Amino acid sequence: MRSLWKSTPLRVKAPLIVAVLTVCVAVIISQVVMSRLTESQEKSLQRLTNAYLDGVATSVLPPVIRQDVWETFDALSRSRKLYQGLNVQDVIVSLADGGILAASDPISFPVAAPLPETVSARFANGRDLVIDDDRALAWVRRILVEGGEEIGSVYARLDLGPLMRERRQVLWALIGVNGLLTLIFAAIGYFSVHRLLRPVSTLHDHMERLKSGDPSRFTPADIASQDTEFASLFRQFNAAVDAIEEREVLAQRLADEEKLALLGKLASVMAHEVNNPLGGMMNALSTLRKHGGDAQVREQSIGLIERGLRGIRHVVRAALVSYRGVKGVHNDDVLTARDLDDLKFLIQHETLRRKLKLSWRNHIPETVAIDGSAVRQAVLNILLNACEASTIGGSIVFEAALRHDHLEIGISDSGPGLPAEIRRMYENAGQDNLQPVGSSGLGVWTAARLIGRLGGKFTIGERNGGGTRILLSVPLKEEKAYLHDVA
Amino acid sequence: MSEGDGQPGAMTRRRFLAGTAGLGIPAILSPSAWGGEDRAVFTFGLTPVFLDSDVQLLKSLKRYLQERMRRPVVLVKKRTYQEITSMLLSGQLDAAWICGYPFVRYRSRLSLVSLPVYNGKPLYQSYLIVNERHDARSVADLRGDIHAFSDPDSNSGFLVTRALLARMGERPETFFSRFFYTYGHRNVIRAVASGLARSGSVDGYVWDVMRDIDPALTARTRVIRKSRWYGFPPIACRRELSQASVIADLRAALFSMNEDPLGREILASLRLDGFAPGRTALFDGIARLVDTVRDQV
Repeated sequence: MRSLWKSTPLRVKAPLIVAVLTVCVAVIISQVVMSRLTESQEKSLQRLTNAYLDGVATSVLPPVIRQDVWETFDALSRSRKLYQGLNVQDVIVSLADGGILAASDPISFPVAAPLPETVSARFANGRDLVIDDDRALAWVRRILVEGGEEIGSVYARLDLGPLMRERRQVLWALIGVNGLLTLIFAAIGYFSVHRLLRPVSTLHDHMERLKSGDPSRFTPADIASQDTEFASLFRQFNAAVDAIEEREVLAQRLADEEKLALLGKLASVMAHEVNNPLGGMMNALSTLRKHGGDAQVREQSIGLIERGLRGIRHVVRAALVSYRGVKGVHNDDVLTARDLDDLKFLIQHETLRRKLKLSWRNHIPETVAIDGSAVRQAVLNILLNACEASTIGGSIVFEAALRHDHLEIGISDSGPGLPAEIRRMYENAGQDNLQPVGSSGLGVWTAARLIGRLGGKFTIGERNGGGTRILLSVPLKEEKAYLHDVA
Repeated sequence: MSEGDGQPGAMTRRRFLAGTAGLGIPAILSPSAWGGEDRAVFTFGLTPVFLDSDVQLLKSLKRYLQERMRRPVVLVKKRTYQEITSMLLSGQLDAAWICGYPFVRYRSRLSLVSLPVYNGKPLYQSYLIVNERHDARSVADLRGDIHAFSDPDSNSGFLVTRALLARMGERPETFFSRFFYTYGHRNVIRAVASGLARSGSVDGYVWDVMRDIDPALTARTRVIRKSRWYGFPPIACRRELSQASVIADLRAALFSMNEDPLGREILASLRLDGFAPGRTALFDGIARLVDTVRDQV
């Protein structure tokens, strides 16, 4: 019901409210009139009964004093003829002891019988006028006093049928007249307010078109046909449409610029990812030149160059997959212990340059069911950052192991600690709105995005003896996939 | 109702005229109407034995008596028999239509003027009536009733029933649960018909006439006992006035009532045949009732 009301348009609701209020006013007025009529009738009845009781009391007082049954009865009979307009049904005169002296209907209220409880109980609350609306009756009482002593009472039962009929007639007249007037006024109110709110409807239609991307402005004729408020509103709408269109143009421009910025960022990342193994490869080439004659050195250096090139290929292919949707490249390949060990060589140029002591503890099995390329790329970025963060001659600790169904890799450095924005980036890994922080944060951004995509998370802690320890935990793929891959 | 309570003998024509001018007495009351004689006003008392509340009848009766007696007439009507009897005995009235019971009680001081003739006889009965819902068949069935009497000085409306109870060894206060006086035979019928009283003692003549006039009223009552015949309520005067010309005029007027159109109209209204001289011996039955009651100590 509430949702129906909410969904009802204002151009319907407002006139409806006006119509309902009109009905409410009519009902309230009717009730006030009925209440006043009832009050007036009761006052009139009170006055009439007082006059009647005054007359009866005056005429029956002497016979009541003498306890003269006939004279009392005769007085009651005569008074009934005099007050026919009051519709007196029964009159009872009782003595102070509660016995009936005489009644207009002696069969129902015999002489000397006690006053019926059904009569006396009506006056238990001390009131002398009791109205029984259900039976359209009123009971009145007048206590007869002589010389300060109560000598009896007069009770009369009045038929309120005519009064009730009059009340009903007034009620029906009110319902009829008020109902008709209410309908007329409610209809007038409904259509007037509906007409007044028609510009709201027009404005609503324009807003809907604006929302659907097909804005249309109010024409000068539209504006001229409205009164001041709605003309102003229409002009404001046109101004708002202008502003929205300007903003869209601006947004388009910004989007284009953003695209260019992203392109630059991509190029920067690509260059970075390609550059990372290049150092190791150059080193391997240098080793080949110097010690190419040694078969073992040659084999090791060629293997290193091959893995470096494979890493570059992965980066290129990953970029192609990410930005151009190239098919056939999948990220569900496994991570080998050797993939991780290769990283030692990929950062060698940095460790040598900064004279860092590298402690390498790789405890993972031969193959691990995880996106090896992504993990390798992420860990390489973290390691390079760790190298860069460490002081000259400092130390780097690499630890890798499987813990339950997670691959855990810890990288510790001897640097001064992570800047707050870099720490936030690690902690918010996996969030879509992750943005690189400056050019130096590209590696971290890349690592956070990769690990986040794999459902992994980073835990940043302090290394014993100073420095930072970054623990990344990445869930393994399902067992079946793992076994399949192993097979 | 009283049209004048003054001393009749002392009332002059001028006083009468002054006293009645505001009552709309017609021009027929002027002295010229009875030959220019300045005759004393005649005061005539009426008890509720008479059919009360018939203003037209009272006017007719007054007019008739004035014409026939050739003097101003004042009709005096009181609520109780006792009041009329007292006024008659004290000389405030020249004559009165009283009940047989006070006539018997004050027989030594009163003189019979005339007796109404009803159904050919100067006699009437007392009826014991009950409400139509009352299943009484005899007097004994009335025990414990609320009973309506007409007047404590009424023969038919009290004395007959009182004597009947005395013969049963009862009194009204022991036999009935409650009794009251209505001071009018018509009221007794109304009281019983309405149920105010379950039974009542009423003048048989009045009940019969009411049966003609207002059958719906009497239909709500039932006669369970009719008494023996008693002398009809008489027109009486003080014994010392019995030979006065005014009483002779009254007697003549009453005796000749059925010879006059207005008189016949009055008699028709009263459902009477006329008026007769009557005999005091007709009231011996009432006297015996009085004795019966007196003997009950």
